[in-house]
Amino acid sequence: MNAYTGKLLIIDLTDRSSDIFPVPDAMKQAFIGGKGYGARLLCDWVPPGTDPLGPENPIMFLTGPLTGTLAPAMRGCIITRSPLTGLFLDSYFGGSFSPEIKYAGYDGIVIKGRADAPSYIWIDDETVEIRDARHLWGTDALTANQRIKEDLGDDTVRIASIGQAGENQVLFSLVSCEFNRQAGRGGAGAVMGAKNLKAIAVRGGNSVKVHDPQGFSQACKNAFEELRKSPDVEALRVAGTASAVEFANETGLLPNKNYKNGTFAKASKIADKGQSKHLWLGSSACLGCPIRCSKIGAVRTGKFKGFVTDIIEYESAALLGANLDISDIRAVAHLTKLCDLYGMDSMSSGNLIGFAMEACETGLIKTPKGIDLTFGNVEAAEYLIHDMAGQKSELGRLLSKGVKQAAKEIGDPAEAFAVHTKGLETPAWGPRGVSGMGLAYMTTDRGGCHQRGFTVSYELGGEYNGVPMDPLTTENKARMVVELQNYSAGTDTLVKCDFGSFGISDTTYAQLLTAAVGGDVQPGAFYETGERIWNLVRMFNLANGTDESQDTLPARFVKEALPDGPAKGHLISERDMARMKQEYYDLRGWDKSGTPLKETLARLGLEDENTNQ
Amino acid sequence: MLAALSLPGRKETQNQETDIKSLIHINFDKCTGCSLCQLECSMDLTGGYNPRRARLAIEHRRENLYHFPVVCNQCDNAYCMNVCPSKAISRTDQGIVCIDAERCIGCGLCVEYCPIDMVAIHPGTGKAAKCEMCQGHPLCIEVCPTGALEMVTLGGEQE
Repeated sequence: MNAYTGKLLIIDLTDRSSDIFPVPDAMKQAFIGGKGYGARLLCDWVPPGTDPLGPENPIMFLTGPLTGTLAPAMRGCIITRSPLTGLFLDSYFGGSFSPEIKYAGYDGIVIKGRADAPSYIWIDDETVEIRDARHLWGTDALTANQRIKEDLGDDTVRIASIGQAGENQVLFSLVSCEFNRQAGRGGAGAVMGAKNLKAIAVRGGNSVKVHDPQGFSQACKNAFEELRKSPDVEALRVAGTASAVEFANETGLLPNKNYKNGTFAKASKIADKGQSKHLWLGSSACLGCPIRCSKIGAVRTGKFKGFVTDIIEYESAALLGANLDISDIRAVAHLTKLCDLYGMDSMSSGNLIGFAMEACETGLIKTPKGIDLTFGNVEAAEYLIHDMAGQKSELGRLLSKGVKQAAKEIGDPAEAFAVHTKGLETPAWGPRGVSGMGLAYMTTDRGGCHQRGFTVSYELGGEYNGVPMDPLTTENKARMVVELQNYSAGTDTLVKCDFGSFGISDTTYAQLLTAAVGGDVQPGAFYETGERIWNLVRMFNLANGTDESQDTLPARFVKEALPDGPAKGHLISERDMARMKQEYYDLRGWDKSGTPLKETLARLGLEDENTNQ
Repeated sequence: MLAALSLPGRKETQNQETDIKSLIHINFDKCTGCSLCQLECSMDLTGGYNPRRARLAIEHRRENLYHFPVVCNQCDNAYCMNVCPSKAISRTDQGIVCIDAERCIGCGLCVEYCPIDMVAIHPGTGKAAKCEMCQGHPLCIEVCPTGALEMVTLGGEQE
């Protein structure tokens, strides 16, 4: 008896069948759960070149061994081949959907095939039904959620749904996992849409048991105590990630006008200060989490009044606010809510709107009729959100393919200000003042992502594990990035929340896992497992079209010096990139082309992977 | 001897309104909906975690803007007790409504007539189960990170 159910539920929408995949012990040992399982299964089940929007590409909703227990700050993840990047995609979500998968008796749900008409899946413990969703097609993600609960006569059912953006296969559409929680990045919503799958509804009546209840209880106490003592967690408890807006502004990392600038004069209006005044009413939490980083509230006054809004977390505030030169937090909340309803990544959306505004200002694209497509114009941003989600005009259809493809189709010089890595739109931490963050973007498995190795606080703090850090140089960055990536991947097997990991130590994660599933997990296991996953995913990505030349930064950060902020005048040059990248490859045990060496794979137990990609 | 009857201070008769009553008071304004209370309670009751198996609930309303914990009221006029055909439900002198598992026949009438769904049939034992305040130290209150749940004693001398 332990916290694994040991089963994945496999559903094939094409022939409307379901089956159980017993998780092999070797997979548990080598990959733990969550991201690890997803990486292993994607490599095993998805041959190179599989169409991300075809029936052969599975979408997996995976939990970790601690999901659904008292272990604080655990989440779930979606793993699939991204239609936006063509690469491995892991997209994480908090809330209450992933525990419900566990309570229904599964460590994960894998969906293959394609339904012949709009459908939703209803999982009630061992009962699995594929139901008609034609009446839901065309509804937004939250309306679909509500209607399914009404259909099923139970508002405690937990639902993952897509909005119109997913139906229309917008390549950065998301999966909405109950209110205010999304698997946001990389286009998982489009994968569901392409399967004619509107939603997955789950109700679970089983209890998750742990191997050693007493030991587990003690490990949980330790974790709660570590969270309580952490100043970083305390900051999140008070103001979520909204306080990062002013921090990023002061340090010159806040994107403004499509990442051209690193500061925004009106930052405080969209930061915790503006949000607490205009939006927040109370705190809300994911299931099992004492941090309660959600500051929930409503837009009560003004043009957009009358809707519930969660905290506008840093990435949305920065990319739909500062990046677009919009400082009215109620307007930013409105734009964010539109993205949530349509089921579209607010980060990529903010990036694309900024890109379109710049393209319009430079005369590369025409202003849509009646719309003044310029920075600072809320109406224009709203117009583009409707247009991208609904793909109403040629411009909307173009932008809905993501910034990499849009720039390619527009042609020169649009690619010079298309801000992405490997097709994933860059997050709101401009790297020109923190070169290690640049290396992290260059090398992250799913493309331009800040969460797999967030170096900012170490670089600006001047130290990483006793090693001095100068944010503007390339020294000592590669090792830090490798270690952070390994640890992140290793603990994403659990599936941990990044915010929880600001407080909970590796030792406590190991204690929790040992008590939950037995054995004797040492903290080092997370680093080692993470390195295994990182290399396996690299093999998958190499087989699916990436190469060394794509381990790079957008031209904006390489060719244009930062015009403002403490790092004014700085950029990450081609030489800087080459130097950091080579050091990174060496540390990873990869050859000059960024391919894992045979001995590296062998050391990690991946000798069977095809090195001949 | 029946196990539940050996609880200290248990009374055989329904207490009067003048008697004291301990219950969990809800400060719903502080509830974040985290469900740690339910996780801890479910572990105590079933040996595993699942908020659905807890002896308290949380209603999440209006896109999670509001979270309302629902706990047993330890009613003075307890319908669960009134409808029990096997006299398995009684009240302690702390005013806590308790179920004697040995006497319970699992008929489910208490479940059917509780107005706030705070009694359930335990899936393992087939007997009714409800909040009995964890011998005076409710786990839900201990684990709640915000003070949304607190113990109060009404009537008589305060503890």
